[in-house]
Amino acid sequence: MKYERALIAVAIVVFILVLSYAVTLGAMGSTLPPRDLRLLAKLYLWLAINPWTRNLTVMSPEAVTSIVWDFRGLDTFFETAVLYLAIIGTVAIYRGVYASSKSREVPISEDEVGMSPIAKSVTKITLPIVIAVAVAIALHGHLTPGGGFQGGSTAAVILLLVLVVFSLQYSIRMGITKGSTLALRSAGLLGIAVTSILVLILGLLVGCQSFIFQNQPKAYAPVGVPAFLDGMLVSGTLILFNIFECLAVAAGLTLTFILVLTHEEEIRSVMKGDRHE
Amino acid sequence: MEVLVLTLMAIVALLSTVATYLAITERDLLTAVIYSALQSTAYAIIFYLLMAPDIVLVYIPVAVGLYPAVFIVLIKKSERYEGG
Amino acid sequence: MSSDFHLVAYLTGIVIISLFVNMGVSLYGMFARPSLIKKLIALTILSDTANVFAILVGYRRWPPGSIVKPPVLTELPPTPERVARFVSTAVDPLPQALVLTAIVIGLAVIIFLAVIIMQIYRTYGTTDVRLISKMRGERR
Repeated sequence: MKYERALIAVAIVVFILVLSYAVTLGAMGSTLPPRDLRLLAKLYLWLAINPWTRNLTVMSPEAVTSIVWDFRGLDTFFETAVLYLAIIGTVAIYRGVYASSKSREVPISEDEVGMSPIAKSVTKITLPIVIAVAVAIALHGHLTPGGGFQGGSTAAVILLLVLVVFSLQYSIRMGITKGSTLALRSAGLLGIAVTSILVLILGLLVGCQSFIFQNQPKAYAPVGVPAFLDGMLVSGTLILFNIFECLAVAAGLTLTFILVLTHEEEIRSVMKGDRHE
Repeated sequence: MEVLVLTLMAIVALLSTVATYLAITERDLLTAVIYSALQSTAYAIIFYLLMAPDIVLVYIPVAVGLYPAVFIVLIKKSERYEGG
Repeated sequence: MSSDFHLVAYLTGIVIISLFVNMGVSLYGMFARPSLIKKLIALTILSDTANVFAILVGYRRWPPGSIVKPPVLTELPPTPERVARFVSTAVDPLPQALVLTAIVIGLAVIIFLAVIIMQIYRTYGTTDVRLISKMRGERR
């Protein structure tokens, strides 16, 4: 029947409406969200920026970023590890496939490969705009909604568009290769690792107690990264974490797209070589 | 105002259910990806109405931009129609 | 006030039950559809639905006389009154912080699974699990 699926979709909608009415009458208890927050959430909101309790605050008006990179920084650190293990898994599946092998030798001009000139011109115009937006999202992550993850994935979208529109061969000639993105990603991860122990090193140099993922001075660890830099609110380590995470996410996702977009013939030839060995 | 916001949220949630149903039952995988992107858009609006601008900023590039791109490359490299 | 209460409960119920139906439909897609690509699409819908549920946990009823706000303090410099008003109107930031990383990790895992499905297609020549399960390693 032609309209069978539309009919079933309407039936599902009616089912939801009727069931919701049953739930409202008390069939499954209350579905209302609470009027007040839990104590933990209140404490996070209270301590996000609070210059009167300097021993506990993060000095960032963005509660989400202060949880992501300060209150629960170790959580995010290991979640970042999961992210890059997945990317390393993708790289491991494509071991031996070098997308640059053929295209390095033969010089190609921009007009020969990729999509139409209209698409290329539009991409050329939007590339700097979107990169600027992504960097702004990452740099203002401690002030406004945004941060390293958001900026990195926004930059990855436009880099994917460049890879598709200008074709993989041309992008590789312009320097977006497996090696360069891997190096940028590793630089970002190294930056995150160094930032996480920055205050610890500072404390060892000064000779007082300090912790990993410490940002502002704490009660028994009176060292920290300054929250204000030349009158601007930078929230200590948060801005560094956001910059490095943006770099690592953008480069890591672009790396997987370079591998995913590699030509089938190249991969199949590598697979055949594996089989004959 | 609260009722207005919740009404919008309920409409968008019903839209996402319809899009999910169509995406799952569609034989042509390319059309299924487009329905999935429609469902992602509905979820992005729900995130916005639930007062989570951070999630909206990360969800729109990922779920409306990158997921469909990955799936379209995957469909181009394998097969377009689901058998059976 | 009473009718308002019931309307809010009804609309919230629609949102929650739609999400439950989405979860059920995507689970059906993951278990019953034969194509691996369709299973992967269903997996993205399932994980997104779980994320919406997590955000919904942190939502709150609107405080009387004010609108509910995102967990970002917009009035700088902070004063005790501003921070107190912020705490009384903002939603819970903790689920948002957890979902934020979950979405990006989900993307990396989905790309990894997509690459594995490409490799399965190269090896077996199909993405239909019924055909793959009948094969014993040889190409179609």
